[in-house]
Amino acid sequence: MIDERKLEILTESAKYDVSCSSSGSGRKNKPGGLGNASVGGICHSFTPDGRCISLLKILMSNECLYDCEYCPNRRSADVPRARLTPDEICELTINFYKRNYIEGLFLSSAVFDSPDRTMELLCETVAKLRKVYNFNGYIHLKGIPHADGALMMRAARLADRMSYNIELPSEKSLKLLAPQKSKQSLLVPMRGLKEAMDGDRINKVRKNRVLPAGQTTQMIIGASPESDGQILKLTEALYRNMDLKRVYYSSYIPVVKSNKLPSVGAGLLREHRLYQADWLIRFYGFNVDEICGENENLSPDYDPKCAWALRNMQYFPVEVNTAPLAMLLRVPGIGAKGAYKICEARKFAKLDFDNLAKMRIVLKRAKHFITCKGKFYGSESQSQIRASLMLEGARESQTQLSMFSDSSTALSVLTGEL
Amino acid sequence: MKIFITDGGSYGFFTAVFNAYNESACVITSDENVQLSFDSEVVRVEADGEKCARVQKKIEACDPAAVDDILLVLRSCDSLKEQIAFEYIKRLIEKKSPISRAFNLPEVIIFDELKNKVTNEVHKMTGFLRFMESDSGAFYAPYSPDNDITDLLMRHFAKRFMNERFVIHDVGRKIAGIYDGHEWIMSYAGEAEIYLSEYETVFQTLWKKYYKAVNIEQRPHEKQMKGYMPVRYWKFLPEKKI
Ligand code: SF4
Repeated sequence: MIDERKLEILTESAKYDVSCSSSGSGRKNKPGGLGNASVGGICHSFTPDGRCISLLKILMSNECLYDCEYCPNRRSADVPRARLTPDEICELTINFYKRNYIEGLFLSSAVFDSPDRTMELLCETVAKLRKVYNFNGYIHLKGIPHADGALMMRAARLADRMSYNIELPSEKSLKLLAPQKSKQSLLVPMRGLKEAMDGDRINKVRKNRVLPAGQTTQMIIGASPESDGQILKLTEALYRNMDLKRVYYSSYIPVVKSNKLPSVGAGLLREHRLYQADWLIRFYGFNVDEICGENENLSPDYDPKCAWALRNMQYFPVEVNTAPLAMLLRVPGIGAKGAYKICEARKFAKLDFDNLAKMRIVLKRAKHFITCKGKFYGSESQSQIRASLMLEGARESQTQLSMFSDSSTALSVLTGEL
Repeated sequence: MKIFITDGGSYGFFTAVFNAYNESACVITSDENVQLSFDSEVVRVEADGEKCARVQKKIEACDPAAVDDILLVLRSCDSLKEQIAFEYIKRLIEKKSPISRAFNLPEVIIFDELKNKVTNEVHKMTGFLRFMESDSGAFYAPYSPDNDITDLLMRHFAKRFMNERFVIHDVGRKIAGIYDGHEWIMSYAGEAEIYLSEYETVFQTLWKKYYKAVNIEQRPHEKQMKGYMPVRYWKFLPEKKI
C-alpha cells in the first residue's frame, strides 16, 4: 500500500501542471476490463482554488538530474524526495477509479537516473495498467525530453494523450531558465507523435491508435519577458503545425527564489486574457494578427473580442436575422451557444430584441454591435461604447475572477470561452 | 378550471394529455405536486395504454425525438414539469414539425431549460457519485440528486464498471439501481446497512490527502468551486466531509 507522505510529496510536485482535462478520447471498455473514457471529459471534484480534479495527477518521482530555475524539484533544491514503483501507481489508480474519484491517471515525472530510464518506467506503468489491470480509463502521460524515440512510441500506443511541455515561450528563455532542455528536445518528439497520428489517420487504424486524445502542451506565463503577442504567435504555430489539442498557460507563481526570476507572480487576469485569445483562435476563426500585435500585450480593460470589435467598428452593427454565423461569433457578448441559438431560432421567425433577451443572450455588450429587425439599441457614440465596455470589463476582472455568481461564467473562466 | 392529476408516471402523463387535449383551460399535475384552488375541478387520471400510445404516436409524427425529450423533462424535480411538457406538446402538434430549437417560443425555452437541468445533473453525477467498497467486494454509492436520474446513471456505470457489482442508491426517493456484474434492475430501497471492506477507510484517507495536496493554496477561489460543485452535493463526498 502506498505511503501517505509519498503521495503528498508527489502530488504537491505535480500540481503546477495546469492541465487536468480528461476529454478527447472515446476509448471503450472491453469484456473483463475496467473503465472507459468519455469524449467530453468528466470532472470528479473541485478544489478550493476553483480547479477541477479529473485525473490522479502525480509524479512517479521528484528526484531530478536537471536544474530548471523555476522548478521546486530541481536538483539543487533542498526538498523532501520520493519515488513510487509502477505497481504502487497502478494500485492507487485502480482503487481511486473504482470509487469514481477520478477519470484516470495523469502521470509525469522528474528525470531520475536518466531520461531513458525514467521514460522506461513510465511506460512500464502504463503498460501494466492496460495489460495487467485491463484498465481502459483515461491516461495522460508526460513525455520526457531526450528519451529514446522508440520508448515514446510505445507509450503513445497505450496512452490517450501525451504532452511535452514547452514551459518557456522562447528559446532564449529556455536557455536561461531550463538549460538542460532545448527547443529541439521538445519539438522533435512532438513532431514525431504528430506524424504517427497522421499515419494512423491515413491508414484508418482503429485499434490501439496513437494518442486518441492527441497532444497538449503548457507554457509558463510571466517568468520570462515575452509579450502576449509572441506567446500567441507560438500558440498559433503549435495548433497549425503540430495539431495540438490544447495549449495551456500557467501564470508564474514564485515558489522558488532566484535572481533570474521575477519576485512577483503573473496576475490571473493575464492568464485569463490569453485563454480568451486562445479560444478566439481555436473556435471563432480569428488570426493572431487580428487580436494582438507581435510585441503587444492584450488589453487588461476588455476581453480580446471587444478590443477587436472596437478597432473594427466599420463592420458593425450587424443584423442578427441575416448575419452569417462567422460574423455573429465576432459580436462581443455573443458566444458560440448564443450564436447557435440565434441561427436556429431565426429559421422559425424574425427575432427582435425581446426574443434575444428571453433566449438568455447577454445583451449588455452585444447591443452596441447588432440590430434586430433593423432597430439599433446601443449607443451611437464610440466613446460611450468604450466607456460602457470598459466598465463591464472592470466588473468582469473583479467579479469573474474572484466571485462566481453562476457556473456558466465560472466555466468561461476556466476555458476562456467568450 | 379542470385539474388532471396523475400518479406521476409517464403513462399517466400521456393519458392525461389525451384527456386534456381538447379542454380550453386546464392543468396537468401529479399527486406529488398538486395545488388546488377554490374553483378547481379535479379529474383523476388512470393510466391507459391505448391512449398513451396514441398520444406518443401523434407526437412522434411531428418530431421523432420529442418523446425522449419529454421523458427527460418528466424526470425533473420542477413542480410544474407536467404542465410545461403539456404546453410543449400542444405547440408541437400545432406546428406539426420539430420545434426543439425554436427558441423564439417561450414554451420551448422553458422546456429546454428543464431538459438541460436534468441532463446536466446526470453529467455532474457521473463525476460526483462516490462508491464505497463493502466487505463483500460490491460497491455502494448513496446520493440524493435533484432529479430522478438513477437509471440514467446505471447505464453509464454498467459500461464503465462492467465486471464489478454495484448499487446506486437515491436515498431521497428511496430507490436504487442494482448491478450484479451482468444486468441491472431498479428497485425500492429504504435504509441500507453497509459493512465496509478493510481497505475502504485507507483509500478514503489517501483520497482526502490527495485532495488537500493538489490544491494551490496561494490562489483561493471558493466561489468558483461552489459554482461547479454545489454545497448540497457535498455530504456524499469524502473529500468534503469534515
Ligand atoms: S526537468 Fe526541470 S522542470 Fe522537470 S522536474 Fe526536473 S527540474 Fe523540474
